[in-house]
This record gives sequence, structure tokens and C-alpha cells, in this order.
Amino acid sequence: MSAAVHTSTAVKRMRTSIFRVPSRRESSVTMTNHPTFSPSVRTPWPLVAIGATLLASTGCGRTEPASFRLNMVAATKTTAPLSGLKEPWAGWSEDRQRQVATILEAMFGTPDRPEVVPETGLDQGKLRLAAGPVHSDIVGRKNGLYREHCVHCHGITGDGMGPTAAFLNPYPRDYRPGKFKFKSTWRDAKPTHADLVKVLNDGIAGSSMPSFALLSPPQVDALAEYVKYLSIRGETELALFSYIEQELEADATLSEDRGFLIDEILTPVVEKWAAVEEEDAQIPIADLPAGVDFALGPTAPGNRESIELGRKLFHGTGGCVKCHGVTALGDGQANDYDDWNKAIVETGKEIAGSLTQTKEASTGQMSAEDRATHRAKLEWLSAMERVLEGDALTPRPIPPRNLRLGIYRGGRRPLDIYRRLYTGINGAPMPGVGPSGPGGKGTVPSEDIWHMVNYVLSLPYDFDGELGVDRPMVAKDRF
Amino acid sequence: MNRRIWGMAWAILFLAVPVLGVATFAVAPAINVWLPKDVSIHGRDIDSLFYFILALTGVVFIATEMVLFWFLWKYDAAAGERRATYIHGSHTLEVVWTIIPAATLLFLAIYQMNAWADVKMRRPDMPPTVEVVARQFEWRLRYPGRDGVLGTQDDLHLVNDLQLPVDEDILVQLKSMDVLHSFFLPNLRIKQDAVPGMRIPVWFKSTETGSYDIVCAELCGWGHYKMKGRITFVPRSEFDRWLERKYAEQEATRPAGDASGNLAAR
Repeated sequence: MSAAVHTSTAVKRMRTSIFRVPSRRESSVTMTNHPTFSPSVRTPWPLVAIGATLLASTGCGRTEPASFRLNMVAATKTTAPLSGLKEPWAGWSEDRQRQVATILEAMFGTPDRPEVVPETGLDQGKLRLAAGPVHSDIVGRKNGLYREHCVHCHGITGDGMGPTAAFLNPYPRDYRPGKFKFKSTWRDAKPTHADLVKVLNDGIAGSSMPSFALLSPPQVDALAEYVKYLSIRGETELALFSYIEQELEADATLSEDRGFLIDEILTPVVEKWAAVEEEDAQIPIADLPAGVDFALGPTAPGNRESIELGRKLFHGTGGCVKCHGVTALGDGQANDYDDWNKAIVETGKEIAGSLTQTKEASTGQMSAEDRATHRAKLEWLSAMERVLEGDALTPRPIPPRNLRLGIYRGGRRPLDIYRRLYTGINGAPMPGVGPSGPGGKGTVPSEDIWHMVNYVLSLPYDFDGELGVDRPMVAKDRF
Repeated sequence: MNRRIWGMAWAILFLAVPVLGVATFAVAPAINVWLPKDVSIHGRDIDSLFYFILALTGVVFIATEMVLFWFLWKYDAAAGERRATYIHGSHTLEVVWTIIPAATLLFLAIYQMNAWADVKMRRPDMPPTVEVVARQFEWRLRYPGRDGVLGTQDDLHLVNDLQLPVDEDILVQLKSMDVLHSFFLPNLRIKQDAVPGMRIPVWFKSTETGSYDIVCAELCGWGHYKMKGRITFVPRSEFDRWLERKYAEQEATRPAGDASGNLAAR
């Protein structure tokens, strides 16, 4: 009995002790069996120190302004050791590099300040709108269009090697050689300003080039002008290298006489661009043959005949099946490159071949002179290999177009297809069937090219040779 | 005393949440971060649902935050009045604050069914007005040609510039050429994912003319942020004229028809 009473008292005491509210004095005692609630608000100095260090390490410097890059592949090519070169190959000397940069800057300015000499024929106002970082100094007008819309693919120098370029197929256009694919002029001629505007407005279907029709006409105009600017600059750079390689002794200084540079280097480049703005620079468009009317559709009798004629030409004198295949699926042959990639591929092969050859050549029997030349050659070959590796995109072959898809890069109007057939595509393996120059004679009479156009346009809808059925040939379009 | 001030500071910080929250919503329409202008016929239903839910959740939110602030302020431990009491919970309270939100949600679910059906289920019985094919990073459009049938050789192909007649039912056939995109028309309260391999009908009707945005609402790659198009509503007669002009441009066989349409010029 007494034990039970004893226990119950002890339990009671325990219970009350748990629920007892501690007085103020007791609250700081930590030895009791219930911890007190005392929030510690000491400043966590280690954390503050780390945070402050991280913030400070971001620094207060400004980013460097953008600058044009040297065309490394072309530059390295021009310094191929000539026979008799004895010193180790040193690439371009500092002086030479600075000279070239100065000349180009004097003629074309910088990416932020594109100040061109008047002999280029470019509109300074338009260039200023397109160039520089994105900024605005007048309400409603934005500068830096190129950097906002184009630079991530086409690059600051217009070399088609912007940050996004490596992920694209086909690669973005490299403006520096001055070659453009989709235009209204003869094959080797430059595009007109209107051609460039058209590509900007329509984009290039089937590639990553988007349509910029949502920009205002002055903005599109400014971008087209800037593309011309980058192209003229690139071509002038190449002309400069060509002059250095062919006309200059190894250590001679390049003349910096303005007159000489403008007349001998710049003007030949600019002349070509000016020439296409003339009245007769565009290819002549033949009249439509009788009975052909693109508004009527493939089942109209006139068009039916025309498509049949076109089919014969496609398989016959047009010579299309060699690449595009008898089914026009683009499965004729697939191991060719467009000119921009071909340059890298062929140079790469040459270099690889020479490198193997040079390495194998025995140096045991050589005189000191020959050995020096040999070493210089080896160094140059290795440098060229490194440049091809690091300063050029991995070459990609260009397959012939699958004509059954209904995707036409240069535009889907009959006029556009006519132009592609007439001149072929400059820079691509696609040959033209029209005359190669004014007054020439083509493989196919110009009027008959319209029949080929009719045939090509009917291909995506030609199911088992039956025209006009509304079942597209390509599976993915059939659902 | 120092601890008491810290306690009050925290309480006031928590009070700032409902205060700033309400302030932001109050100011939003004036600084143009509120709902975009609605020109569709079913946008009214959608917007009123939105406001209803906003009001409901807003009231509950503010009430809860006020109570939280009050508890933080009055029962701060640094004031040291008394120790918190441990309770095992109140079954009644649990039931009440489960039943009421569940009932509210059930009400909302049923209340909105009509609005959802209007937009997503009651497809108008008509042939497609235009086919929109989403592609990295543009909107490719295909109008049926003069034969009125989509998928034949005379179809009109355009990019990014979607023109449609106002005050008429529009049926869009939405496809994707490569990856997931989402056809989002903010001013028409329309959003529909473009799923590769699927052909999805989207319908709407605009009550006002004007140009509005098409934006992509499903991450589709590095160009997702700039995948913008423009949708323009014009009177039917103007739309027909525009269509004719575009057909003629697409059939061009002479350089005179070379000017490729630039939107701002229109």
C-alpha cells in the first residue's frame, strides 16, 4: 500500500514537473530535463565573410569591345614557306598582323563603329543602325540589329562561326568569300540588295535561317547593308592576303598609301557589287511557253503537257537524275561539298598528305640549309593543321535536294525555281542548265526551263505518277 | 530587449508579404503587367474564372497571413510571457479545413467545365482555315489554295504572318515539324501544344481587328525565346484581297512581282 502511494506521488511529481511552466529565473538553466527555448541570434560571421568575398570577386571591370577576327585559314595559307626560306616558320610577324589590322580598320572601322571609306559605296547611316551593341538613343529606334539577330550564328566578323553555328546543318553563311547562293543574278555575280532583303524577309525554308519579315523595312534594309559590309570587308581582307602572298617579298612592308590600297585592293571588290545594281545584271527570264499557267494547277491540259516535257528533260538533257536520283529523292550521289566546306576539306587533305610526306623525308643526308627549310615546312604544315582544327567548322557534305519534300531553300515561286535551274546555285555543286553568261547558250533552251519548273513543283504531289491527287507523297505530310 | 526587436522585425517582414502582394496586384494594370487585351469570344469566361479564383484565394491568403503575423507578434518567445501549450490537435478543426477547400475546389471544377468545353471540346464543324506548322524557330503557315482544299499543290505557304478574317470562326490545324512547341495567342486566350506526329484542331473567333502576338509556350531549343509570329485580323473583304495578292506573288514568273511582303509595310 505504501509503495503504491509512494509511486503515485513520484509519478505525480514527474507529471507536474514536465508541464510546469518555468519561471524566468529558471529559463536559462539547461540541466533540467526540458531544454529552454532561447533563440540565439548571433551574427554568422563566417557566412557573411564568404558571401562578401563572392560578391567582391565578380569584379568591376568592363567587358572588352567586340573586334573583328583575322581570317586565320586564309592568313595561314598565304604564309606557306616559299622555297629557300631558311628561318623557322614564324607565322605572321607582329608588324604584318598589325599592318593588316590597321588597314582594314581604316577602311571599315570596328564592329562598334563601322566607319567606311566612301569608295565602298555603303550607306553609313544604315550601317550605324545595324552595328554596335544593342542600344537606343532615340525613342522608338533600336541600334545593334546585327548583334541582336544575326551574330550568334553568323559571327561578329560574318564568318558563319558564331556560337550557335556548330549545331546547325547547313552551316550559316560565311560572308567573307563574297559568295551567295540564292539570288537573281548570273552564277558568279554578287546578289543585288533586293536579293539580300528577300532572303531576310523569307528566311530559308529547310535551314535555320529564320524569316525577319516581322522587322520593319528600314531595319531589314540596314541588316542587308551590313551583310554587304561584312562581305566587302572579308573580300578586301582576302585580296590583301593575295597581294601579300603574290606580290610582296617575305619581309617587305606593305604600302599604306591610301590611293594604292583603294585602287588596287578595294575597288576590284566593290566594282563587282556595284555591277549587279545595273539594269541588265539580272538573268533574263524567258516568256512562259504557250499553255503553261501556274495559277491553274497541274491537272490543266496545258500544264499536264508541260509537266511531261519537264519530266523528259529531268531524266534527259537536264542531267538531274545523276544527283537527284530517278525518283527525285536526292539519292543520286551524296559525297560532294559546298564551296565553303570544300575549301576546308581540300586544304585538309593537302596538308595531311604533305605532313606525312615531309615527316617521312629523311633528314640524315640533308645539308644544313635543307634541314632548315624542312623544319620550317613542317612547322607551317602543323600550324595549318591546327588552324583547320580550331578555326574552321567540321566540314559537312551537302546532299542533293530531296525534291519530293516541297521545301525550297531559295523560294517556292516558279520564278525562284527558274533562277535555280538557270544559273545553278553558286557555291553548291548544283549546275545551271541555262547560259553561263549574257549571249551564251545553255544545255536547255530558256523557254523549256519553265517545263522543268512545272515538273519540279509537281513532284511533292505526284503520287505513283498520278497528278493532282491530294495525297502528298511524303509520309509525314499524309496524316 | 534585443531579442524582442529581432522578433518584431521578423513579424513585420512576414507582414510585408501580404501587403506587397496586394500592392503589386493593385498597381499591375497601371504598369501594364496585367492580363493582355482580350479580343476573343470565350476570353470573357476564362477571365472571369481567373478573377473568381483570384478573389477566393486572395481573401484566404490575406486572412492566413494576417493570422500568421498576429501570432508572430503577440506570441514571440522573447517576450517570454508563457510557454506554448502542447495539444494533440483538434479533430474538428482538421475536418473543417479539409471539407471547405475540397468543396470549393469541387465547385470550381464543375463551374469551369463549360468554359473548357467551349475552347477544347466543342469543335466547330468546318474545314480548316489555315494549317500552322510549328518549326524551330518559326511558324509556317499553309492556306488552302483557290481549290479550297488544304494539302494540294496550289496551297499558299507563308511564314510567321498569320492573317485572318475578323468576326468569323477560325479553325487552325496545328502540327509540328520537329519538336514540341506551343501555339500561344495571348490576346485570344488560346494555348495548345504542337505535338510532333499529331494534327490538333484549334478554334477561336476574334471580335476586333488588329495585330497581336503568336508566341511559343513550350521550350523548343535555343531559339524558343525569339519564336514569335504575328496574327492579324482584318475585315473579310480585305482578307480576300490579301489572299489573292499572296497567291499572285507565289505564282510569280516575272521579276516585277519580286517584292516579298514585309509585314510593317502593310
